[in-house]
Amino acid sequence: MASNKIMVQFLNRPFGTIHYVEGLRASLGIASGWDEHEVYLLFMGEGVYYALKGVNRTDSLKYIHTLEKLGFGLNVERESLQELGIDESDISEEFNIVSRAEVFELMKEQDFTVDF
Amino acid sequence: MLYLIDIHHRKIGFEYAKMDPEAKVVLIQDGVFTTAAELPDVPEVFAVKEDVERRAIAKRLGDKVKLIDYDELVDLLMSNKVINFA
Repeated sequence: MASNKIMVQFLNRPFGTIHYVEGLRASLGIASGWDEHEVYLLFMGEGVYYALKGVNRTDSLKYIHTLEKLGFGLNVERESLQELGIDESDISEEFNIVSRAEVFELMKEQDFTVDF
Repeated sequence: MLYLIDIHHRKIGFEYAKMDPEAKVVLIQDGVFTTAAELPDVPEVFAVKEDVERRAIAKRLGDKVKLIDYDELVDLLMSNKVINFA
């Protein structure tokens, strides 16, 4: 099986569900397999709450750090921030802010998208 | 591309579908509670017939939505790039 481009979308609020931890765990599984798939991690909709400065990410830091070592960073959608009234200055520095138009272009390049 | 839409993430899913001139939208599970007024102006909108009939809400969706069964859904999923908002 050849390497694929896979976008993992985090659409749900970060607490009270297992979505984001499971999504990050799955992302690591996707990225670290034999085929070395490319994974693009995107927080959008209410998933952007995960990107706020000061959010407790203790239970998922090991996944984030390993993904970063593999070259896969964290991205957050600008329009979702605007729709929720979140200022970009309130977003943690390890997140790259991308526009909806940029995400749409990336979506076209993906082999698969998965949402959590 | 095909946008698979459930109710919770329909707004952002529709925003992406509106950017795609060849968008196909499929309403699934509680996504079929979407009203006709909420639907984006895209070439094709489908809804899973079983999900609509169980909820008895066919009238809400309006005439633009084509009802499909699970076999047709699988055909659509296999023949299109799927962007998942379900």
